[in-house]
Amino acid sequence: MILAMAKLRIMGPRQLLPEVLNVVQDTGLLHVAPVTPDAHLAPLSSTPKQLRLRRYLRRGLADIEVLQSKLGKPQRPTAASQSVSNGQIARWCRLARRTRREAERLDARIATGEEERTLIVKYRGLFATFQDLSIPSARWELCRAYHVLLQAGQEEVIGRLREHLTRVIGTEFELRTHRLPSGESAMLILVPAESAERVDRLLAESRVQDIPVPSRYQGATLTEAMPQMLERLEVIPGEVAALTAERSRLLRTASPELLRAQAVFHDLSQRLEAIPLSAVTERAFVLEGWVPLAAVPRVENRLAHEVGDLIAVERVEAADWAGEAAPVVLRNPRLFRPFELLIQLLPLPRYGTIDPTPYLAVFFPMFFGLMLGDLGYGLMLAALSLILRHRSSPGTTRRAVSEIAGACAAFTVIFGLAFGEFFGDLGHRWFGLRPLLFDRAEAIVPFLALVLALGVVHILLGLCLGVAGAFKEHKRQAIGKGLSAVMISLIVISLLAVTEVLPRQLLTPTVTALVIAFPILVVVEGLVAPVELVSTLGNILSYARIMALGTASVMLAIVANQMSGALGSVAVGVVFALLFHLVNFALGLFSPTIHALRLHYVEFFGRFYSPGGVRYQPLGHWRPPADHPALERS
Amino acid sequence: MNPVLVTLSAAIAVGIPALATAWAQSRIGPAAAASLAEKPELSTTAIILLAIPETMTILGFVVAVLIILRGGL
Repeated sequence: MILAMAKLRIMGPRQLLPEVLNVVQDTGLLHVAPVTPDAHLAPLSSTPKQLRLRRYLRRGLADIEVLQSKLGKPQRPTAASQSVSNGQIARWCRLARRTRREAERLDARIATGEEERTLIVKYRGLFATFQDLSIPSARWELCRAYHVLLQAGQEEVIGRLREHLTRVIGTEFELRTHRLPSGESAMLILVPAESAERVDRLLAESRVQDIPVPSRYQGATLTEAMPQMLERLEVIPGEVAALTAERSRLLRTASPELLRAQAVFHDLSQRLEAIPLSAVTERAFVLEGWVPLAAVPRVENRLAHEVGDLIAVERVEAADWAGEAAPVVLRNPRLFRPFELLIQLLPLPRYGTIDPTPYLAVFFPMFFGLMLGDLGYGLMLAALSLILRHRSSPGTTRRAVSEIAGACAAFTVIFGLAFGEFFGDLGHRWFGLRPLLFDRAEAIVPFLALVLALGVVHILLGLCLGVAGAFKEHKRQAIGKGLSAVMISLIVISLLAVTEVLPRQLLTPTVTALVIAFPILVVVEGLVAPVELVSTLGNILSYARIMALGTASVMLAIVANQMSGALGSVAVGVVFALLFHLVNFALGLFSPTIHALRLHYVEFFGRFYSPGGVRYQPLGHWRPPADHPALERS
Repeated sequence: MNPVLVTLSAAIAVGIPALATAWAQSRIGPAAAASLAEKPELSTTAIILLAIPETMTILGFVVAVLIILRGGL
């Protein structure tokens, strides 16, 4: 359900606004909303000093966040201090900026060292070859050497390059090549220094690249740099380790102070951002916001206790804010709460509409179980869910996923028993497991009938929720949805009567009722109503996917079992069968999840869901994201 | 009924929608990937959009099953 909210209006002398904001932040319950200005109330603009401070804090926070990402592991926040001087804020900002610059400088040096090391290691094998090729030429006093590595199959480049060089600088060059065991070719080109510029251009045009020499040896050729590079290979790991240690020391030293700064900056930013949302008269301020209905006395008492009777807190009548977008808090029983995660993948429902979490919590695992429906796979999923649960802490996304997986596993086991499946037909072969309901591999039509019946129930439930949701504000729409629900029921009864599942005598009254209901529907909903009705019937047929995926899953499991006897060697067959089961299990986790979600998001929610809710974000003290993986086990 | 015709009809019933689904998904996939690069929060919408054309194949499969059952195979 969506938690009931109350709108509070806090009024008092203008000079008390900062103190009130402090108390509101300590309470952490008021979602501050902009006050609508009128003839007596003017919006309170931030002063240039406050705007400057906000910019300053934003920059400081950006620096701290960069440093935290470098530190890797977020830490628990420290309590924000209320009394921090501007001088302290400036010191923290300078510390954050200085530490960030220093950390970035160290990172750049570490990266350069690693890059140099990688390059030397990569070309170390080539050095010997190039040294053999690099016997100095006696032809020129000053010569320039180009070192090129050609991939296997690029040998034609050598001949082409020789021709181009002859055309550009005549015979004044030496081109030496050596084929490496890897199939690549090392090529050394020696030219007189005065021709180097023209050869540079030629190589660039021919897209032949000289092996890059690390920037430290700028100006030297690879041959000249080689001995130094090999020496550096011994030194670099030590240098990188020293730089890494220096970086860790820097971050560790600054971290406690910056963590405190982060909490203070966040809190101060939030208070500064709340100021322009309030409105003022010449002497008084007005602050408005939403609080969960049950928490109103706490906010009132805290303000009365800490600020005194100079301020007034009043509850705005619900009728006065009916059209406004109140923030949304989903609050469901413990059993359903993990499924709020699946609702949060969509935009939140609007305040005052229906929270679909309880329905999703029932139908999602049921559809999943119907599709996977295998005792063995269900037990595997239960084991996975338990492992995930063990490795997560309460209130985190991982914990919610583990609990959703647990519910899905339970339904998979139940339907596995109903369909008599344990890794396909293995249960039947090993211990004579028999279906309690029907065998999915054989009874395709009963399975189809079952899922379509479930589709009818699901869609009718959606239409009923649509009626309930629209009844208060959009009566005409509610009547239209109600009529659609009635017509869907009538169509289903007529079809059952035609196929003699229900008594044939029902056919005439249901068809008559349909003929009467149809024009009423068109009058109420307009010409689009018949299209909507057909689309709803299409949506019911869409539930056939449960049967299609379920049948595919059991067939794949049966094929996996047949592999053990079909590949000659039993051992090879068993290995293949296990692999095939593993693939089927992986598919069985992915496809049913996507399709069960789709059936909810598109077919079911389409009947009643009203997105566009505003997330409840009370003005409070800063906390880092609760479910950061690094925090989960701490 | 001729089993060859029944089998062929069932294959066409599921094959053509499968090709149509593949074509639709080949258009949706790159568009979704491009959107995700800009707005990663659209991942749920992208997955749902990719799953929507599969309805055609699933309905084709159901029709194929009905053809085979009615055809007496």
